[in-house]
Amino acid sequence: MNINKKENIAAYIFLAPALILLGLFLVYPSLLAIYYSFTDYYLLTPNDINFVWLENFIAIFKDPIFIQSLKNIALFVVLVIPIQVGAALGLALLINKQRKGNIFFKVAYFSPVVLSLVVISVLWLYLLNPSEGLINNILVNVGIDPQPFLSSPTQAMVTIVFVSAWQGAGYQMLIFLAGLQNIPGEVYEAGKIDGVNKWQKFYYITLPLLKPTSILIMITTLISAFKLIIQPMVMTQGGPMNATMTPVYYIYQSGFSDRMIGYASAMTVIFGIIIGIVAIIQSRVSREDDN
Amino acid sequence: MKKLSVFIAMMCAVLVLTACGSGGNSSANDNEVVVWFHTSLETPEGEAMQNTIDRFNEAYEGEYVATAEFVPRSGSGGGYEDKVNAALTTGTLPDVLTLDGPNTAAYAESGIIAPVDEYLTNKDDLLPSIIEQGTYDDQMYAVGFSESGVGIFYNKQMFEEAGVDLDSLPTVDEPWDWNQFLELNETLHNEFDKPVIDMGFDDKSEWLMYAFTPFLWSQGGDVVSEDGTTAEGILNDENSVKAITFIQDMVKNGYSTITPVDKGFHTGEYAMKFGGSWTIAELEEYPDIEYGVMPYPTSPDTGELVSPSGSWQYAMSASSEKQEAAGALIDFMVSTESLSEMSLANSVLPASYSAIDEITDQVSDEMNVLIEQNAASAQARPLLPSYPQVSRIFQDTISDATYYEENSDIQALLDDKAAQIQSVLD
Repeated sequence: MNINKKENIAAYIFLAPALILLGLFLVYPSLLAIYYSFTDYYLLTPNDINFVWLENFIAIFKDPIFIQSLKNIALFVVLVIPIQVGAALGLALLINKQRKGNIFFKVAYFSPVVLSLVVISVLWLYLLNPSEGLINNILVNVGIDPQPFLSSPTQAMVTIVFVSAWQGAGYQMLIFLAGLQNIPGEVYEAGKIDGVNKWQKFYYITLPLLKPTSILIMITTLISAFKLIIQPMVMTQGGPMNATMTPVYYIYQSGFSDRMIGYASAMTVIFGIIIGIVAIIQSRVSREDDN
Repeated sequence: MKKLSVFIAMMCAVLVLTACGSGGNSSANDNEVVVWFHTSLETPEGEAMQNTIDRFNEAYEGEYVATAEFVPRSGSGGGYEDKVNAALTTGTLPDVLTLDGPNTAAYAESGIIAPVDEYLTNKDDLLPSIIEQGTYDDQMYAVGFSESGVGIFYNKQMFEEAGVDLDSLPTVDEPWDWNQFLELNETLHNEFDKPVIDMGFDDKSEWLMYAFTPFLWSQGGDVVSEDGTTAEGILNDENSVKAITFIQDMVKNGYSTITPVDKGFHTGEYAMKFGGSWTIAELEEYPDIEYGVMPYPTSPDTGELVSPSGSWQYAMSASSEKQEAAGALIDFMVSTESLSEMSLANSVLPASYSAIDEITDQVSDEMNVLIEQNAASAQARPLLPSYPQVSRIFQDTISDATYYEENSDIQALLDDKAAQIQSVLD
């Protein structure tokens, strides 16, 4: 009993730093956001906050830009997850073999993750420049018309998908790599004895054994994909014609440019609920697959 | 264990310290005022501000003392404004602060800043656009310390190549209308067979509001009604449609482009560019380009020259208990001497008539065109508490209009945007 009690106290002490930080920077702001979402909090009049109850929420559902941003982020998530996760898996398989120069490739694939998103976005702005950019120069040299990329309402989001996948894939690659190295060699040996070819080896051995890793990666990628803001902010400012406006970017603009903290908080609450629902569905689906 | 508890104690201490880190800015002395500037002391603008403060302290020695704090703003206006917003919440605003022109209405409406009319000794000397920008509900809340404007920069060599007679170009007294301007573009476009003017369409920011509203105003259109309550029937009336159509035609005819090459005018890619006093400063590094500046084109229906304007201003915080001293400081900072110093140091347009007289001999001909146009035709942007939203929707309007294939029906585009602005105003 005495020992137990002591251990409990020690446990709480160990937990304390994390709990304090989580409470301060996650729980408390979240509760505040829920509270503000029912008010008319205007950034310039912090001492005059009144309850407006559901007014913000009603206005949001009539806000064409917010609706547009939800469609945009849906398109982004649907495109970026297969591309980014697929690329990550491919890269992981490539560098999983023992080969000369592996470390170089590992660093090369991972380095975009370390760079700041702003730096990446500015870099790609130059690469994608319609008249002077490297990409269009290459396209012209192989006989393809130069593309508008970011200045085209139809291409802008797809371009951002590729930039984001390129930037993020290195991180998932590392996790996949850890997953790959956890697959015991005996399983492959057994497969070899049964005479499987390369494709069968991948499909029947590697992929199923990577499942727990994949589920983790899918959920984390999904949630971070929903938070897209820096790339459109730097590269397109949400344009052209709001084609790359994302919910988080719009929330930021409403809160800090337009100073409508109440309205922005209400959007945060709605968007938080949407992400929550999607995450729950996703984890349900992957668990059902398990059984 | 001991180490851990020390660590936790330190963490708590850090948290407590950061929570209370924002002490009050007011000092006990009634004659000591604190002023916040939105720029860095390292910039020419910051240096001019510090000089002005030093001169103030000298001139009012024994009476008032001013201390300056420099809070640089980041690219998109963060930094400084974040600090002001935080100070609002904690009630630690300085006695005097700077604010951007379009913020006047929101700050005045929210009771953050106090009227300064009674402290100004030279109000009649200020340019009308400065007074317009700082006035809300018939009271002057903020005083711009410089002006800004946009002119059409042109490359003399390229004009001559295309056979344009440089002596025939428009002046502030005799500006060209849109049709003449379109003809000029046609001539240049025929010669060079590529876009000939960089109008900054890629700059999806306040620029699109700032640089393109004068076209509406020249035609007699507007973004919102005079009293700031209505957009429907204003932004989508026939005058606004005409003005936006002119802007769209610039892109549709291939005269301008939505993806201009960076520094295209500076390197001889484009024959013309929309630019301001900052462009003159930039072009100092491109001595090969011989350029001139001409005024904005006007609506053929009215012939009225209207040009962009606006800048940062000084204002007094309403919570200041030292309004006498703060008022004296603001008055001092907008005196002829201070305004002239600011214009010369930062190469910006002067904000008062006497400052114009003071510096006109000391600046280039190109700068004088901008100064002259500004004094004759500058119009301030609308004063609205919900300015950020209204401006952003208008920026979208201009940006959308440049996509002429998707938005060939200007009336429909403007109906839609007017409805959006209306819902913000209601």
